[in-house]
Amino acid sequence: MSLLSVENISVRYGQLTALRRASIKVSEGETLFVTGPNGAGKSTLLKAIAGVVTPREGFIRFAGQQIAGKAPEDIARLGFSMVPEGREVFGGLTIEENLRLGTGMRADKDQAARDLEQVYAVFPMLKDRKDQQAGVLSGGQQQMLVIGRALMAAPKLIAIDEPSLGLAPKVIDDVYATLIRLRDSRGLTLLIVEQSATRASLTGGRMVLMRSGEVALEGDARELSKGDALRQAYFGYGDH
Amino acid sequence: MTALLQILFDALSLGSLYALGALGIALIFGVMRLVNFAHGDYISFCVFAMLWPSIDAAAIVFAGKLPTYLLVPLILLIGAGLSVLSEIVVFRRFRNANPATMMIASFALGFVIKYFLLMLYSSRPKSIDLWSNLSQQVEIMGARIPPLQVITIVVTIAILLALTAFLKRTRFGLEMRAAAENFTMARMLGVRANMVIMMAFAVSGMLAAAIGLILVTQTGTVDINMGANLMLVAFVATVIGGLGSLPGAVIAGYLIGAATVLMQVVLPPDARPFRDAFVYGAVIVMLIWRPNGLFSSKATKQRV
Amino acid sequence: MAERPSILARTWSTPVILIAILAVLALAAYFAGSNPFNQTIIEIFIRVVLVVGLYVFIGNSGVISFGHIGFTCLGAYMTAWLTMLPAIKKSKLKGLPDIILNNKLDYGWGLLAATIFAGVAAYVFGKVLMRLSGIAASIATFAMMAVIIQVYSNWDSVTGAQSSVVGIPIVRTVWPYFACAVAVVLVAYAHSISRSGLALRAARDEATAAAASGVDIPRERLIAFVISGAIMGLGGALFAHSVGVVTPDTFYLGLTFITLSMLVVGGMNSLSGAVLGVVVLSIIIQLLRWLEKGVDLGGATLSLPLGVQEIAIGVVMIAILMYRPSGLTRNRELVWPSKRLSGGTKASAPADGKTA
Repeated sequence: MSLLSVENISVRYGQLTALRRASIKVSEGETLFVTGPNGAGKSTLLKAIAGVVTPREGFIRFAGQQIAGKAPEDIARLGFSMVPEGREVFGGLTIEENLRLGTGMRADKDQAARDLEQVYAVFPMLKDRKDQQAGVLSGGQQQMLVIGRALMAAPKLIAIDEPSLGLAPKVIDDVYATLIRLRDSRGLTLLIVEQSATRASLTGGRMVLMRSGEVALEGDARELSKGDALRQAYFGYGDH
Repeated sequence: MTALLQILFDALSLGSLYALGALGIALIFGVMRLVNFAHGDYISFCVFAMLWPSIDAAAIVFAGKLPTYLLVPLILLIGAGLSVLSEIVVFRRFRNANPATMMIASFALGFVIKYFLLMLYSSRPKSIDLWSNLSQQVEIMGARIPPLQVITIVVTIAILLALTAFLKRTRFGLEMRAAAENFTMARMLGVRANMVIMMAFAVSGMLAAAIGLILVTQTGTVDINMGANLMLVAFVATVIGGLGSLPGAVIAGYLIGAATVLMQVVLPPDARPFRDAFVYGAVIVMLIWRPNGLFSSKATKQRV
Repeated sequence: MAERPSILARTWSTPVILIAILAVLALAAYFAGSNPFNQTIIEIFIRVVLVVGLYVFIGNSGVISFGHIGFTCLGAYMTAWLTMLPAIKKSKLKGLPDIILNNKLDYGWGLLAATIFAGVAAYVFGKVLMRLSGIAASIATFAMMAVIIQVYSNWDSVTGAQSSVVGIPIVRTVWPYFACAVAVVLVAYAHSISRSGLALRAARDEATAAAASGVDIPRERLIAFVISGAIMGLGGALFAHSVGVVTPDTFYLGLTFITLSMLVVGGMNSLSGAVLGVVVLSIIIQLLRWLEKGVDLGGATLSLPLGVQEIAIGVVMIAILMYRPSGLTRNRELVWPSKRLSGGTKASAPADGKTA
């Protein structure tokens, strides 16, 4: 029984079709990478799951519920935690306020307070600067903050859109090291959109390759990146 | 010295009204990018709520006869209710519309409210006696100052402090500030859009009601246009303050209040009737210099 | 492909259709001969001038202006100054320059002067305002109108402050109003298909792309602002001559509301929308006025309370914005039926014949 299953969803922006009957499944505890070239519909897929865009057709089930067309806040409250592209920290809020926002939907306040301490344990840098405005953080620090913020919701699944976007290679390594550590220590379920397939094979997990709004290829990240199939799928089969 | 004190009180009490108005507009703009042209008509509506509907020239005071400790909460509640109602009935349908469309819709809604009042109460201004003893001047250090001015200033400061505490210290406040900065992201963190927006409308409506109470005590008249002029100044203040910035709106409100009172003093008597024209002119000039306002917030730069 | 319409028909079918609509109204007034009906049609023509004036700026630039009625005020007073009898001016408006005080011009000159004066004022204000965009620009136009109205309602010696200026020569025949409405439609259309108009609409739809391809947005906006300001001034002058009385209050929020709602209801981004919005809402207004006066229903008189008219217009406006934000015309232009032509305003959308 998969935690998240997306079945044949299509999304259009005006005349432009961004997703064409795309389907993915994520089981509890696994890491799924969604890769593909620019404009393949990866971000749209995440936005559709998060409820920011509404699919024209298809089904999305998450944690046993049909969520296509629901409001983003209701989906979040089911345990779907989204880290969108470009990080989206609340620059005018302090770091601690950013983190506390993640816990709004939780009734167990004591647990939330303990989680805050745990997030600070994972990212000590955030604790040092907890009363500063989040806007002053560097890109890498902001990425850590939004991951921490996503953790605060105690989610069933964390979806991250392009965590490496605009970051230096060294920082990207740090971000992924943190994600792998969290996954292994807490059994997190991750859905990561990442343009680079190499990063997926380094991290491990399952991988889906998208092209022109469709799922073109699916399999184990390490297996796929060994063969030629991935490259062919990524760049097309010479049909363009 | 005495004259200076007088000017200071004038400027602060006028600025308080403008600041409260600008704050009410900026709050809503923050969470949903709506420039609410109906805000001024909320003010009039709250004032008229004290009267029994009648198109006679004489005002029939109704709710206005209640003791103060009941009247004030009642009027605040009416302001909040009207404001939330307009959100539910009208503005909710415009969540995905562009700001220009919403702005025109609010302009139309303002007219609907105004002419609804005209229908019930006629367009003639009526006089009403509400706490008029507060307008009788008392001497403070040689300056003749009506207690109402002092009350206006103190009440405004109290409202500003309460609102700051609400925004900084409560969960709702945190969610509201987050929503003002990035609405979609806030929703993805589980912040309930409708609740936050309704709360913003409720607070904004209460601010309108507070202005209405102060205005009617000051002038002793009720008039369907009483909110309109103040609203215009409040708009200008929100633009100067940087659309969406709450502290900016408040500071700009006080600045315009001060500028208006100063013009009154500085301008030669012949030019005094044109005081407001000078103020607006100054505002336009200022916008050329800083098109995003004096204290533009990050969120506005991205979107406006 | 079917036979291509001539260039002339293709280019000018929209204004020809619109003018035909106006001509029908004018002829109706002429043949009806009744005074109140005549006055109603004159009112419609004035509104056509004003709403088309709004369209030239708002429709093409996409910037909502709440201040254009300020120019209408300027135009109305200008023609009042020039065309009133010297005797009246000397008693009421002593502050006017002697040359104006002692002379009286024909109303045609009044209209011309009003147009030019409002155009110049629009140039001066626009030079400053057009650097702003979006909501800040809209609110600044509001402030601009407040400046104008404040000055005119306090400048006692020149405008009579808030008291009415009475004694403006009244023009009762429908033809001058018709001629002005036609001229304004033609000017607005010519502007919208001109290089400047096209560039402005491109900037409205794709600001970044237009700026990148060399469109000087403030300049194109200023051109539209001046043309529309001048038209609003003409509308004000026509208004003054249609009723013979002006006060600053006439040209404030109420008139802004009515004209803006007509533009919105018709379709903000099309000239046809401006004209149709006027016609449709004018009919509704006329109906409501009639109901407000009271209708005899077999003995019992049914009359609506005052204010219902504005409430109804406001509700119609909100409903249109909610359910059909592109207005009755869906922002398309009227073109010859049966031929698939692009209307000119919305170059990207195919116009499927006569809409609305």
